[in-house]
Amino acid sequence: MADDKTPADSNPYTQTYVVQSGDSLSKIAQKYYGDASLYDKIFQANRDVLKDPNKIQVGQKLRIP
Amino acid sequence: MKKQFVWLVAALMAVLLVGCANDKAPAEQAIAGAEQALAATRDAAQKYAPDALQAVDSQLAQVKDMFAKGDYKSVMANIPALNTAIGSLKDTASAKMAEAQQAMAKAKDDWGSVSTDVPKMVAAIQSRVDVLSKSHSLPKGVTKDALASAKSGLDSMKSAWSDAMSAASGGDYSTAMSKAQAVKDQGSQIMQSLGMSSG
Repeated sequence: MADDKTPADSNPYTQTYVVQSGDSLSKIAQKYYGDASLYDKIFQANRDVLKDPNKIQVGQKLRIP
Repeated sequence: MKKQFVWLVAALMAVLLVGCANDKAPAEQAIAGAEQALAATRDAAQKYAPDALQAVDSQLAQVKDMFAKGDYKSVMANIPALNTAIGSLKDTASAKMAEAQQAMAKAKDDWGSVSTDVPKMVAAIQSRVDVLSKSHSLPKGVTKDALASAKSGLDSMKSAWSDAMSAASGGDYSTAMSKAQAVKDQGSQIMQSLGMSSG
């Protein structure tokens, strides 16, 4: 049974990030891309586990394309 | 007395001539046998043990030279060593051929996983390069030069990967694997330069 906190994609080279307390997609985008406005790239890459870009859960494993 | 001596010398020479003639046929046969044995292993030896083949060819040439000079006794004396060398050459070529076939089989097996692995690596890097290219400022630890270098490196990876696939489709899995490994090494460096290696 698939873990709903884990993305289904299995590209071992796609970087992943485990959501920490206080994180938002823009903060993660800032960390990895240097540009918070690119948060949508992360959201689109994780549509299978994220329904709303403003709702991420601590412990969720996100792909960072 | 003198007449008797002449007859004796003539008789001895006749014995020697007959003796030499008797040695010629076996020497000729022995050389032919050695040549036949060498011919049977020549192709494999040329590919897998060229240096050893050259040494045996030289040994054979020396024996043939002895034959040409009528030194059949030396021919017969040297034939066993020549045959041993040919046998040893055959063993060496066979062993190296088996080794090469084993390495090729392993490369073919390895290619199975690499052929799906490398495109994933290229895709992951391409994706990051595309996103970073749209970024107004780069993340900590990633420089403009690193991004520019990653872009050109990605092109070079794609080209080398295309070469690897061509080699594999031609059945040369050793070359394909060697090129694929170079692509992976380059990919790892690019990933590191773009900060993709840490979580």
